[in-house]
Amino acid sequence: MSEKPRGKKISPRPRLDLTEEDISEAMRLIPGYLDITLGDFKELYHLAYQKAVERLSRAVTAREIMTREVTWVSTDTPLAEVAEAMGRRGVSGVPVLDQEDRVVGVISEKDFLSRMGVIASQNFMSLLAACLKTKGCVALPIKQKRAEDIMSTPALTVGEEATVKEIAEIFTVKNINRVPVTDPQGRLKGIVSRGDIVKAALQRTTP
Amino acid sequence: MMGDYFRKMTGTTQSPVRVSREEIIWSWLGAFLGILAVAYIDSKFLAGTDLVLIIGSFGASAVLIYGAPRSPLAQPRNLLGGHVISALIGVSACKLLYPYAWLAAALAVATSIAVMHATRTLHPPGGATALIAVIGGPKIHHLGYLYALIPVGAGALIMLIVALLVNNIPSTRRYPEFWL
Repeated sequence: MSEKPRGKKISPRPRLDLTEEDISEAMRLIPGYLDITLGDFKELYHLAYQKAVERLSRAVTAREIMTREVTWVSTDTPLAEVAEAMGRRGVSGVPVLDQEDRVVGVISEKDFLSRMGVIASQNFMSLLAACLKTKGCVALPIKQKRAEDIMSTPALTVGEEATVKEIAEIFTVKNINRVPVTDPQGRLKGIVSRGDIVKAALQRTTP
Repeated sequence: MMGDYFRKMTGTTQSPVRVSREEIIWSWLGAFLGILAVAYIDSKFLAGTDLVLIIGSFGASAVLIYGAPRSPLAQPRNLLGGHVISALIGVSACKLLYPYAWLAAALAVATSIAVMHATRTLHPPGGATALIAVIGGPKIHHLGYLYALIPVGAGALIMLIVALLVNNIPSTRRYPEFWL
């Protein structure tokens, strides 16, 4: 898990900024006189890029990109099993379901870290530092606890019709990395992670 | 506010790159053959008649259709449409405002730009075609609306045929980008 800048506005300008030299080089590759200035081309590129981003992110919904085989835990799953499941599947967060399969919370690495005395910045190095300064295991305070004791609740979820743009905004604004997808009754249908959005972008832009 | 106004006059970007030597040679050849065809027919078949086939604005068209054949301004729609529409507007302005040639000249050029824009046929030499209808002298005036057909329409058509034949010879060139 990495630190994301909180509340940063999503810029409509492409991250990869074209220079006039790039455009000149490209123009040399096309034989013939191109009836456009470098400045106009750059402006056109930025506007077209913005349109493409809007079109691509408007069209795709959570249903199309979500991961359907989700690792999940129950409210009464012991934390040792939660951690084991997350480690085995290589995921940094899992939804927590109640008896009726409704998503009631999410447990991420951050929830573990913050319950283990790592308050300042919730990352592995802070945990390691805490570990090296303490006798015994820093996980002791949560050893007997269950999923419902440390999960973030209520769970932030989206419907299957949520667009990639909306989900990307939730990720950025709430500074989270995954969001469970639920049906109208709140039952788990899948999960969308930042990785799913990257994969979707790749599929849409590669012909 | 005023600062912005004057800052805009300093420009924002740089001149596009120079084309390759082959491109320069093909531009030269196309323009040479295009104008040659029109000028030759004019001098061999129309000398001594009341008709003409070559007018100054064809020099400007040659720059576009042989020098920048990818330009939207150089496409057949623009070449033929821009010239013929502007010719009709030029002749009309001349007839309507005959004693005031200075006013007719301004009205002809400005109106042809507006109409070329509106009909998506913008072709810069069209402005010259409209102007020539007003300031081109008695021989042009005498043609009346025939001016739009000969020299303007016919001359532009000959230049278009030459552009199709010459611009498509080198592998690095193609013409047109679109017809309509």
